[in-house]
Amino acid sequence: MSTTTSTDARTTSATPRTTPRRRRDAGKRRQVVGSLVVLAVLLLAWQFLPTALGTPSYVVPVFSDVLAALTDPAAFPVYLEATVATMTEVLLGLAIGVTLGLVLAITLAQLPTVYGIVFPYIVAIESIPKVAVAPLFVIWFGFGLSSKVVVVVLLAFFPVLVNTLHGLRGVDKDQVDLFRVNGASPMQMRLRLLVPAALPQIFSGLELAVANAMIGAIVAEFVGAQQGLGVLILQAQGRMETPAVFALLIILSALGITLNVLVRLLRRVVVTWEQH
Amino acid sequence: MSALVELDRLGKVYSTRTGDVTALSEVTLRIEDGEFVAVVGPSGCGKTTLLKILANLEQHTSGVGILGNNELGANRSDDVGMVFQKATLLPWLDILSNVLLPVTLKRRASAADKENAMDLLRMVGLGEFATKRPHELSGGMQQRAAICRALVHEPSLLLMDEPFGALDAMTRDVLNVEVNRIWRDTHKTAVLITHSIPEAVFLAQRVIVMSPRPGRIVDEITVPFGPERTLELMGTPEFGSLCAQIRRHFEVSAA
Repeated sequence: MSTTTSTDARTTSATPRTTPRRRRDAGKRRQVVGSLVVLAVLLLAWQFLPTALGTPSYVVPVFSDVLAALTDPAAFPVYLEATVATMTEVLLGLAIGVTLGLVLAITLAQLPTVYGIVFPYIVAIESIPKVAVAPLFVIWFGFGLSSKVVVVVLLAFFPVLVNTLHGLRGVDKDQVDLFRVNGASPMQMRLRLLVPAALPQIFSGLELAVANAMIGAIVAEFVGAQQGLGVLILQAQGRMETPAVFALLIILSALGITLNVLVRLLRRVVVTWEQH
Repeated sequence: MSALVELDRLGKVYSTRTGDVTALSEVTLRIEDGEFVAVVGPSGCGKTTLLKILANLEQHTSGVGILGNNELGANRSDDVGMVFQKATLLPWLDILSNVLLPVTLKRRASAADKENAMDLLRMVGLGEFATKRPHELSGGMQQRAAICRALVHEPSLLLMDEPFGALDAMTRDVLNVEVNRIWRDTHKTAVLITHSIPEAVFLAQRVIVMSPRPGRIVDEITVPFGPERTLELMGTPEFGSLCAQIRRHFEVSAA
């Protein structure tokens, strides 16, 4: 048995025109096909298992019911409006949170004493489950857009702050000396050394921030809101329309995945020196 | 000849929690314009501290030091080029932009600056790699680019801190020959810090021997060979006996 395997391996590697890249591409294609097969199996199970097991539709609806709820032309404008509302909260909160996180990280990285004073508080606040303060923000900022944005800001801010600080403080000492020997100003040091050097970590923070922002927006909508996907989920739940709940979860997943892919594409375009 | 560097009883004391540590003690040294000086010594002898004081990255705590027309530590002199142990290239810039960094930190690079940088790159055989990123080059090629960067703004003093310590022995030999050629072509004053005695003797006109605790100069040896050095020189008995003479300092201090 093992002899056969090793012979196979030798023939493959000896085949003249299979370059390593082509072999890697073939491997990737096989992985994609595999993933699609898994998806198909899961969807088939979702379609047929609930009926076979006699599970009622309000507990686990079959896939075709969810698909029907998702593609219902009457529901489309409602979904669209809610998506716009939720994504406004997410994107606005991300923009503010990420900017604040970056600016504060860059400031703290160059003030070691202040950093030492503030750092324990950053750690402390970071370990609080921040969504728990959402009810408080509804009291403070009302049921409109601002209370949701504030929750998203809080959730997006910390991963960016912590990862950026980590990146800035890990900059190579010789690179810093190189800039000092050549008389770089503090601003040049920041913009031309520290920030570019920290970009890989900044993007790691951004990926976390995006995932957190979605969580923040939905939880804040659960707590108190007039519109948004979180509100629709609660309404569908109230009417026991489980297929609609699943349809909304699919929309949320699609939005989350899209944001994540966008950040990772941006990372590839910006951080060109990173080995993938 | 006029002196470019003059150090008079220069000292450096670090204050630490467990008390003061003398890194450098009474270093008196004169380096002529255009001279190549190597500083050798075991780790902890203060040779890197000496280099950092010359680069104005650290301040001495006693004595007087003069570089060109400026007193060391008084005002920042941008008149040095520095080569680090690692190539220390910025991975987000191509090789040409890396070489031009000392210029672009002061002003916009002109066409003449770019041509100058390209000339340097061609001189070390990297003319075709100007648009490549650092990670596309071998370690030796990266260090060559770092040498170009240290020369691009035409500094009066070239400082090298164990520049080839991280490279393999063969690449090291090739680069040493190249540094010798660059020095002869550019007439730069150069200070090389190294713990390799043969490397010091191969490159320098004068070898400064330092000893630790506290870091001080224990000997100065004038290297009697001409400006051009070839690898064959390393096999001659004169080269060997000079190395042995220097090495004896460390055998005594170790005993």
